[in-house]
Amino acid sequence: MTKRSAILAALAFLMPALVSVFLLRLWPAAVAVNTSLIPPGSDTYGLDNFRYIFTDPVFLNSLKVTLVFLVIVNPLQIAISLALALLMNTAVPLIGFWRTVILLPVAIPQSVSAVVWGVALRPDGLVNAVLVALGMEPQRFLTSPDQALASIILIVSWIGVGYWMTFILAGLQDIPKSLYEAVTIDGANPWQRFRFVTLPQLRRPLTFVLVANTVANFLIFAPIQILTAGGPEGSTDLIMNTVYTQAFIISDPESAAASTVVLVAVVLLIVILQFRMMRTEDGHD
Amino acid sequence: MHGMNRRTLMRGAFVAGTALLAAGTAATAQDKTTINFLSAQRDEVIQPMIEGFEKAHPDIEVIHQSVPFNDLNAATESRIGQGDTSIDVLHADTPRIPAFASQGYLLNLDDRRDVIEAAVPNAVDIEQVSYDGSIYAYPQWTSTQMMYFNRKILEDAGLEMPSDDPESRLTWEELLDMARTVQENGVKYGLTFQQVDRYYQLQFLFESAGAGSGLTGDDMLTPDITNEGWVKTAAWYGDLYENGLAPRGVTPEQTDDLFINGEVAFMIAGPWAIARYDANPDLDYGVAPVPYFEGGKPSTPTGSWSVAINPNSEKLDAARAFAEYVTLDPEGVYLSIAGNPNTLVNAEAYKKYAADMEALTDKIGSAIGIISHETQNTAAGRPRSRGFVTFETIMNRTFSDIRNGTDAESALDGAERQLKRALGRIK
Repeated sequence: MTKRSAILAALAFLMPALVSVFLLRLWPAAVAVNTSLIPPGSDTYGLDNFRYIFTDPVFLNSLKVTLVFLVIVNPLQIAISLALALLMNTAVPLIGFWRTVILLPVAIPQSVSAVVWGVALRPDGLVNAVLVALGMEPQRFLTSPDQALASIILIVSWIGVGYWMTFILAGLQDIPKSLYEAVTIDGANPWQRFRFVTLPQLRRPLTFVLVANTVANFLIFAPIQILTAGGPEGSTDLIMNTVYTQAFIISDPESAAASTVVLVAVVLLIVILQFRMMRTEDGHD
Repeated sequence: MHGMNRRTLMRGAFVAGTALLAAGTAATAQDKTTINFLSAQRDEVIQPMIEGFEKAHPDIEVIHQSVPFNDLNAATESRIGQGDTSIDVLHADTPRIPAFASQGYLLNLDDRRDVIEAAVPNAVDIEQVSYDGSIYAYPQWTSTQMMYFNRKILEDAGLEMPSDDPESRLTWEELLDMARTVQENGVKYGLTFQQVDRYYQLQFLFESAGAGSGLTGDDMLTPDITNEGWVKTAAWYGDLYENGLAPRGVTPEQTDDLFINGEVAFMIAGPWAIARYDANPDLDYGVAPVPYFEGGKPSTPTGSWSVAINPNSEKLDAARAFAEYVTLDPEGVYLSIAGNPNTLVNAEAYKKYAADMEALTDKIGSAIGIISHETQNTAAGRPRSRGFVTFETIMNRTFSDIRNGTDAESALDGAERQLKRALGRIK
């Protein structure tokens, strides 16, 4: 087989993948960028759509809410996942049972979890019944502008931590036992073992979890759509809900495209920053 | 139910089998015109109409394409808007007709005005399918709202049953007194709206208070929701929840259960709720006309689905035949509610619908009397605006905020500012 025909054969095998990438990824992205640059009712390019969304209180609010949400939800989920993974990596009795219990919410569709939690968090729902039984004040949860975002964080974390835990747990089980034996001989206490062996060895799985979790949380949509539609008073109006509303409810595809471009740019920027932060001193990640 | 499912399944299998056979002998099959009907209804709702039509027109085959309600807008816009000819007939939600008609997505039906007006004599129903003085869809169904009450709860509280006579309807003031009494008597909630926070179900409160629909101007693109009547009525709505008379945090899907379980005494809901309530033999309920504000006028929600034609369709004759069969031919119209108890606008078919509904009168009061009266006399449609969907979306969120305790005046101020921007983009 000549070199040229080998390349052709390779190309033929790659073609389905390349065509899919082009049709399903690159082409829609190009269309979105193109749409975002054409103001409604015009056929010349301009930045009007961006000017419109950046003076739109609804869009600006959703950017703010999304950033607040991410700053809280990402560290929280990763810390809990890490703690759970450490716990599940010890010799607890019935370990298989506990792992299953923690992972179980992953098997339930996000929308179903949202509906069930929505009922439980109703002002006359199960959670308040428990609070009252324990002698506490009932709370308003999703119906209060001060508690709704926290309630959403609770719901998505309940779904998410088990999932992210499995990646960290896999990473923990890859750490050679000999490293722990060595530092124990050197007199390291449990905190030092965690700080100087476990954490550095977990760099790879943690980087993956951090990046994937950030992206997943940027794109949270179903619980918002089902439970609050962005309210009360815009307090849970995460950016995907705003984009969806612009595109499919108020039929403003130009604003939706502009918002999508902004969203992708912000996600890319944050992910790049995260990769840099997680890089080791010698330049390898 | 089981038997029917199996029968549907068998029929499906038979059709599939026949289709396979037909594919093998396609060359000998006779020429058939195939048209596509796009709707947000389940297949069970549409199939009876299609079967009836195909029997009457053996040379035309109708294929139903069902999309979720929230996607119908997007589907109409992306497909008909791009000149797609693969949709011939479509279901159009009446408040969305101005937006679609103004963009040229719907065929102008003025040449059939005489026939349509003869079959559908109520002017409100014609207005619902019109934009800019022209008719753009065949009216098919309509809707109204009634007040359902739980007889047992009222009896236990020593209250009189509300009358089913529209002339002696309750005022909101009287109703709230009754609601408070049942709540003091141990019932969880006094009243609820079936579709909490939705403009469709709350517009009539503002109309009854004389505050207007919320949109004004020649093109109905100017918001008017901060006048005294709007603020007062919105505050009244918020108070229902602030005082615990009505439930916070409940979604529209959950309200029927509250009524069926006897957790709420009064329920404002559409006639279609009868199907669900009647399926619960333990529920002893009755119907009455919806209340009005003292000093105001009675008003009720209305509007539903209509049938429109894609102007790009290459089979206009067949499309027209199908659209007219399901809206103007009493037989087809009646079949259109075989799988879904909607109220009809076609005068002939309505008689048959009324006779069916009459059978319920002994048990729950004259629902058909209320429906007939309200659709003829008190119906106030949603504003005919190209910006209706934007308006509705922002209003629904505002009602939700008010229900959750946001001050009515500041919520409406915020909504008006947002509406001015968003509707300004449409202008």
